[in-house]
Amino acid sequence: MNTNLKISNVTKIYPGCIANDNVSLEFNSGKIYALLGENGAGKSTLVKILSGVVIPDEGKIYLNKNILKLNSPSDAKKNDIGMVFQHFNLFETLSVFENLIIDSDEQRENLKEKIDTIMKKYNFSVDLDVPVLNLSAGQKQKVEIIRCLIRSPKVLIMDEPTSVLTEQETSELFLSLKKFSEEGILIIYITHKLKEVMQLCDEVAVMRRGKLVSVSQINNENIESLANKMVGQDLKTIKKKKENTSSEQLIKITNLNFTSEDPFETNLVDINFSLNRGECLGIAGISGNGQSELFQVLSGEIISNKNSIEFNKNFIGDLNPQERREYLMAFSPEDRLEQAAIPQMAIFENVALNNFKSSNFFNNGLINESKIKEHSKKIISEFNVNTDNIDLKSQFLSGGNLQKLIIGRELITSPDLLICFNPTWGLDVGAINYIHETLIKINEQNKSIILISTDTDELLKLSDKISVIHRGKLSKIMNAEDVTSEKLGILMGGGN
Amino acid sequence: MIVDVNFVGLIIASIMASAVPLILASCGELITERSGVLNLGVEGMMIIGAISGFALMTVTGSLIIAVFGAMLAGVLISTIFAFLTQTLITNHVATGLALTIFGIGISAMIGKNFVGIPGKEFPVLFEGLKDTIPLLSPILFGHSIVFYFAFALPFITSYFLKKTKIGLIVRAVGDSPESASNQGINVRFVRYACILYGGAMCGLAGAYLSMIYTPQWIENMTGGRGWIALALVVFSTWNPIKILIGAMIFGGLTIIQFHMQAIGVRIPVQFLTALPYIVTIIVLVVISRDSRKIRLSTPSSLGKSFHKDN
Repeated sequence: MNTNLKISNVTKIYPGCIANDNVSLEFNSGKIYALLGENGAGKSTLVKILSGVVIPDEGKIYLNKNILKLNSPSDAKKNDIGMVFQHFNLFETLSVFENLIIDSDEQRENLKEKIDTIMKKYNFSVDLDVPVLNLSAGQKQKVEIIRCLIRSPKVLIMDEPTSVLTEQETSELFLSLKKFSEEGILIIYITHKLKEVMQLCDEVAVMRRGKLVSVSQINNENIESLANKMVGQDLKTIKKKKENTSSEQLIKITNLNFTSEDPFETNLVDINFSLNRGECLGIAGISGNGQSELFQVLSGEIISNKNSIEFNKNFIGDLNPQERREYLMAFSPEDRLEQAAIPQMAIFENVALNNFKSSNFFNNGLINESKIKEHSKKIISEFNVNTDNIDLKSQFLSGGNLQKLIIGRELITSPDLLICFNPTWGLDVGAINYIHETLIKINEQNKSIILISTDTDELLKLSDKISVIHRGKLSKIMNAEDVTSEKLGILMGGGN
Repeated sequence: MIVDVNFVGLIIASIMASAVPLILASCGELITERSGVLNLGVEGMMIIGAISGFALMTVTGSLIIAVFGAMLAGVLISTIFAFLTQTLITNHVATGLALTIFGIGISAMIGKNFVGIPGKEFPVLFEGLKDTIPLLSPILFGHSIVFYFAFALPFITSYFLKKTKIGLIVRAVGDSPESASNQGINVRFVRYACILYGGAMCGLAGAYLSMIYTPQWIENMTGGRGWIALALVVFSTWNPIKILIGAMIFGGLTIIQFHMQAIGVRIPVQFLTALPYIVTIIVLVVISRDSRKIRLSTPSSLGKSFHKDN
């Protein structure tokens, strides 16, 4: 049974941006299609249109030559289009089975049988009775996939499925997807990761700024050609120069423990490491293994034993973030809009929040606005933030620009150590490149970085030393040259 | 002092009777909150129910019309809340507070003509069995139908939420309206329905007060019970059975402290009056300490507006 899905002249306009500009594409079952593009290229809008979440302004969609009316997600379901969103559409407090039965019309027993068959066939193992919030990201994704498979879909759309997965989980996913494809399900795979496209897909469509740039067979492409199509210009590849790092110790963590009262946080167990000037320590791991707790302990959001953190020959474990900044530490938290910046406040106000002692941002309790604005302008020009309006609310900056602003705000005081947590999460290739360049540059200035990240490629590219965090424990510190992504993957899964 | 067993039974029965409006209103509000809507207008909806029930009873003479009319009045006033918060996406807290103020005001206005009018006797069930079993008879028999319904309601609510498909949908909407919407569930419809149901239960709770518990109309006669009902929902961690326990403790202490005041126990009156509030909250906090269970039963989207955008 062949499935043919055709998108014809689809246009969707949002105020101030054309998300899809006259896009036409055709897909046939038996193949895996990649839809590739940077963030904001319009991929997500296109798949939201296919799944009925967004209604296009113009254009039509055909399934097997029949026109499809997709006015709501249930229309897509009725027409056998299954969709796994990047941000899971699961109910965290409901059990796995409740999550599955909620949109099924079948009897309990029948459904249970059906789920068992699917799980056996594709080698999934998920406990049906636990609440979803206890599952790992990989398992949650499996629940989403099972939910689609229950309806025996003709089309399965995967939106950035690997952003939360480990190396192993990713290859398991790829095996499953290939199996689905062999069974005649049409697979559309949305991503901005080039490596995955090369590994998995048969055909690739590239989008840029809402327009379809090219459609081609994967055999005619390579990573560089796709990257250039995606960004629209030649990307220079950056690489870290291996230099002789100094042997002067900057920070030393000794027997650091953190026990949380919240059962959904991870306890940190006996963290020990040290870092020299000019080095970058990468900390890998699957999200939820204690990274955010580790970041908070290092930044002083969680205060620990005074002697557990020695920085520049001072014991600072009991100091708060503001006080640690005085010792020349700087922080870039994971969530840009929740933790690093206040979305409703203007750029310059956000800059003023990082109020260090020598800043003179405040005189006798009054805000020195001109001083802050001058300082903000300096950050914007030095760190390439693409705006000249420092009165703009920071929520209107794109992720990349906001991250540049935050990193700039932290670095302009010339700290000895920058601790960052997923600094390039969700950013597009151009912005990622810029952040990476910046991080390499500060290492070259003999300053140190602790980089907590779930992106293995990023860690291998930037780190001098790497450790893996698993269930709140750090693995031994390894030299980055001796590490492969496979090895990291094993450690991230709890192996040896 | 000789304690008559039947007297103890009567005290327990009066405690249960005083718990009825709390159970009704709390169980209604629980469903509303489980769908992610925080309606602080419980007090207002109860008082509207109280005056509507009493007025309809006086005017039509029919108890059935009065009871259902009070529920309908609760539904109508909660429709205002639903329209504002779900269609016009106003803030839940502010709208709920406004609803309470509105309810108290309008009930006082309507109620002017009904002050001082005696109520009617409400029929009770199983009256013939009243003297059959010592201690238990006064507890089990001779109450209004609303009384029995109230004590069944927590169990029905619990069963509804845990075992039925619609209950599952309500919980799903409260957990994540975005996901629910992407699953094709009509979030706005579910929330409207839950708000209206909450309104009906609050209306019934009010009618119980003005028609059965103290059959007369007094201005502001709910006397803060709506706020207690709201507190019960939160401190029971959205668990209907714990609402029952909380309502009984609250009702019990209220009655007992009255008796203590009457006997002339040498404890400051203010302390006695405050006792039910303090003890109920302490007990509920203690029995609901398990933070894992709290996380699982707290509606994650509570009080947050959901706006479906294209």
